[in-house]
Amino acid sequence: MNDRDVEAFLALIERHRRYMYNLAFRITGNEQDAKDVVQDSLLNAFVHFDRFEGRADLRTWLNRILVNSALDHLRGLRRRPDVHDPRPISDVADTAASASPDPERLVASADCRRLVRAAMEEMSPLERVTFALRHFEGRSIEEIAQTVGIGSNAAKQHIFRAVRKLRLALKSHWSGQ
Amino acid sequence: MRHLNDDDLVLHYYGEDGPEMVAVERHLQSCAQCMDAYDALTRTLNVVTPPETTPETEGAPDDQSELRQLLRESSRSRSSRAGAGMASWHAEAGAIALVWLVPVLYPLSLLTVYISGEWAHDHIAAAALLVLTVLWACAGPLVAIGILHGIADSFNHASTRLRALGSLMAVISPPLFLLVSRLGPGLWPWYGAVSLAAVVALFPWPETAPSTVRLLFVHRLSALLLGVFVLGHVINQAIAFFSVPSYAAVRSVMRLASQQSVSYGVIVSSVAIQMVTGAAMGMKRVQAGAVVRNLQAVSGWYLAVFLLSHVFSGFLFSPPPGVIRVAAATSGPLNLLASAAATAQLPYYLLGVAAFLFHVGVYARLTALAYLAEASVRRLSYAAVLVATTIVVTIGLSLCGVHLLW
Repeated sequence: MNDRDVEAFLALIERHRRYMYNLAFRITGNEQDAKDVVQDSLLNAFVHFDRFEGRADLRTWLNRILVNSALDHLRGLRRRPDVHDPRPISDVADTAASASPDPERLVASADCRRLVRAAMEEMSPLERVTFALRHFEGRSIEEIAQTVGIGSNAAKQHIFRAVRKLRLALKSHWSGQ
Repeated sequence: MRHLNDDDLVLHYYGEDGPEMVAVERHLQSCAQCMDAYDALTRTLNVVTPPETTPETEGAPDDQSELRQLLRESSRSRSSRAGAGMASWHAEAGAIALVWLVPVLYPLSLLTVYISGEWAHDHIAAAALLVLTVLWACAGPLVAIGILHGIADSFNHASTRLRALGSLMAVISPPLFLLVSRLGPGLWPWYGAVSLAAVVALFPWPETAPSTVRLLFVHRLSALLLGVFVLGHVINQAIAFFSVPSYAAVRSVMRLASQQSVSYGVIVSSVAIQMVTGAAMGMKRVQAGAVVRNLQAVSGWYLAVFLLSHVFSGFLFSPPPGVIRVAAATSGPLNLLASAAATAQLPYYLLGVAAFLFHVGVYARLTALAYLAEASVRRLSYAAVLVATTIVVTIGLSLCGVHLLW
């Protein structure tokens, strides 16, 4: 591979980059992590481009690589306590509960987003990825299972657990109103 | 209709309740309790919006300079190794040569196991050499998993087919060797089979049907029946390490049970179904980078030929002269290192047990992921691998004639 191959590859993936970044951002919830995940995925895709062979849709192929890179990235973060230090939900909930009790405001509030974020950080990598793909991206459970490489029952259970964690995190809000 | 639980409500929220959707909606309209629960869920999930990107991050993906630099560095580091095309060609040729060396050298590995077994009998220090040679004879599946890790998505190229079929041959060498050695004396049947497999890899393969869902269902159903029988054998073989008389007694009972026409019919049909459905799914399980998936495929390939040689060989061939079948041995300590011909059964049985435990273990892991947290499943997996390895080592010792009680 030479510089021309690099340019050809960049041209090929150009229209998918923003989509990939947005997906990575929705999964990781962090700009720097999203950039790292996209970069890792594209490097991976470039190195293994000979495996693509045009059999599948390019976006589907990139998507699979991205989701797996995101999973690896999230697992790596969890192994590094200096980086992965989620604030306990109870702490975030206390802060949020002291804010305005107006439900309309609460829905739009940064506190609520902080709670959701804290809940997302408490999820396991698989829970987080499957939930993000289902809830933010609107992918079907079957599609998620195929992308992540698990059974559809397992994908369902990860989503159920993710939803349970979110409900638990937001419970204090709803009961405080 | 019964009340809906949280999981039903989540599926309904995402429109994933399939044909039940109308019934669930009707129930929600008529049941205030479920409707309240659904409202609470909706209220929670509706506030979970995607994280917002800031203006500066929205611009970030357009900045290609850093990525361009990384790709160029990656490209140069690959080129600098030996020239990109050559490096890739060398890697491919190396992988193919390595994986085909396994079946080619397999008879030699058996000879070294036998010789080192004799040495270990005289000098205990040679036991380390025996362990090394047994590992060599059993290395096929490990080599195959390494080679399949970098396999291409489709079998359009002969090099990919050579990789795949080479991996298959590396994996199934122990049972296939026992099967083909029944065709005649010497090594010509074995090298004939290896050459035939290599020739098959040179011709294009037909595209197979895309869906394996039904096959998987039938495969799992028959596996359930067969699993009980195989697990009994595995446990009993492990018992042989602790007490040969207990092993012999349990084996007599199991043999009596399995020789009844009904149970024998069930076993033979289950094996046949396993092999047919497994072969139909065959190479589809293989995927670059998917270690667990490839492990399941590799252990499945092994089990198919192992069961073929173990259950059907009585129908197909008579045992070759000099081969003592473990199942046919009566009482007294087993020692597969006692003769060169019997030594071929040591990797055959060891890998058979390992393949069964890993094949079932991978499926159990995937199932457990549906009910337990990922971290718990990982911890359980490590424990299961430890237990499986202990079982394989225990059986290995008993097959080599090492027993705690005679």
